[in-house]
Amino acid sequence: MHFSSFTYLVRQGLHSLRANKMMTFASMGVLTVCMVLIGVAFLLGVNIDAMVAYMGEQNETVVYLASDLSEEQIAAADAAIRAMPEVVSVTYVSPAEVLQFYSDKLVDSVNLMKAFENDNPFEANYRVVLRDVSQMAAVSEKLRQVEGVTKVLAPLELSNTFVSIQRVVNIACYGLVAVLAIVSMVVVSNTIRITVFARRKEIGIMKLVGATNGFIRFPFFVEGVTSGLIAAAVASGAVCGGYYLVTLWYTENPTTISRLFGGSLVPLQSVWYYVVLGFVALGFVLCGIGTATSIRKHLDV
Amino acid sequence: MIDFEHVTKVYETKNDENVALEDINLHIEDGEFVFVLGHSGAGKSTFLKLMLLEEKCTEGTVTINGQDITHLKRRKVPYMRRQMGMVFQDFRLIPTMTAYENVAFAMRVTNIPTKQIQKRVPYVLGLVGLGDKMDRVPEELSGGEQQRVALARALAHSPKLIIADEPTGNIDPEMSFEMMELLSAINSVGVTVVVVTHAHELVHRFNKRVVTIDHGRIVSDTAEPYRETGYATAGAE
Repeated sequence: MHFSSFTYLVRQGLHSLRANKMMTFASMGVLTVCMVLIGVAFLLGVNIDAMVAYMGEQNETVVYLASDLSEEQIAAADAAIRAMPEVVSVTYVSPAEVLQFYSDKLVDSVNLMKAFENDNPFEANYRVVLRDVSQMAAVSEKLRQVEGVTKVLAPLELSNTFVSIQRVVNIACYGLVAVLAIVSMVVVSNTIRITVFARRKEIGIMKLVGATNGFIRFPFFVEGVTSGLIAAAVASGAVCGGYYLVTLWYTENPTTISRLFGGSLVPLQSVWYYVVLGFVALGFVLCGIGTATSIRKHLDV
Repeated sequence: MIDFEHVTKVYETKNDENVALEDINLHIEDGEFVFVLGHSGAGKSTFLKLMLLEEKCTEGTVTINGQDITHLKRRKVPYMRRQMGMVFQDFRLIPTMTAYENVAFAMRVTNIPTKQIQKRVPYVLGLVGLGDKMDRVPEELSGGEQQRVALARALAHSPKLIIADEPTGNIDPEMSFEMMELLSAINSVGVTVVVVTHAHELVHRFNKRVVTIDHGRIVSDTAEPYRETGYATAGAE
């Protein structure tokens, strides 16, 4: 294609955007709203994911060792537990530490405390934190196999709840994103269809003088993709700006519940590029597909 | 230049078949001027559509410029169309564009560089006698002038073949004659011209080959230059 042809086609596409101001404005508006909703769904998903992950990190599996182990056996068990790749941290708690922990709570029962001090009934144990709660069942089975381990107490029910919440949130968010993506595509497709219809006479003449389909399509692509990119820019600004304000507000107004989940939202710095790139890609792809599907009919002359 | 060999075109609808052309055999040489004459419904439009690659024939083959267009790949159709120029009864000009822009548009959308367009458009508009009306929009031009713009557009690609569909259908008789003269002049420099029409009177005035189509068949072909008597015999059938 000659350069002069290329610039001509781009100019044609941009001209059409201006010529159909109302239509362009309406479709860009709907597109922007869809993108903002997609962005909100995405950020909601990311944050709930992060919260669930944070809660998951608080998981603690308690591993008890037999009380009659020799020093070497304890060291071997210790090493075996620490060597597991799924384990993030391991804390050894001696019987004396357990007693210390409970002694604060048993201040009223002095007699009991005294009895315990002479004959400590508590067992030494390990507090094991896992990287991924969804692996809890498998890992606790592995822990059980370690030489010298008598008992493994894993909060399996809790971990299952976390995992299923995470799954539901993911499915809901992706589902929403998919639905909105389809809606935006239909909107773009419709707008382009109207433009194509308005210019069907010109298209007919173009066909008859021997313009290729690519040449006829190009200005419509320019039109569709430009409105997609403008919508992406507006939506990026709105979503990122809005999200920034929400994160500020969230950290400044802590509540009991928000503290439970770590006290802060995922910072804008670590998500903005997903949002912007996602919108640009979305604008490009949706508008591309929308345009392609709407012109095909009129190309058969 | 143009070859129809045993061409049959059948339009099929749900429970009906409509034979538009039946076993057409026609050969048009390079540089010929041919009238294709027929009433409405005789099969003229179908004949035209086959040449313009808007329809494909049911049987037989159509060859234009040595290329079998019945089996042409879809993506090659535009390049085939650039080898011919077309003129229509309803002009098919874009009302919002000036005469110059209408011709330039046809060149731009077929990927011709701007420089070449700027040279060629005034030239072809001059050829059809509209050198001084290039910046008028169709509305400001008479029917005959609009048709000449359309002809200039058809000539812009320097085609070897001009196909005109009722070129005089919407213009007054005096202008029609001028239009035909123009086509004749174009023909005289070696361009093959095919004029599809139902206007007997006009055909009378030119001493050219006439192919008459009726009920989907060629009923007469004055391969010799047209004579009035020749037409009368043909019409009597």
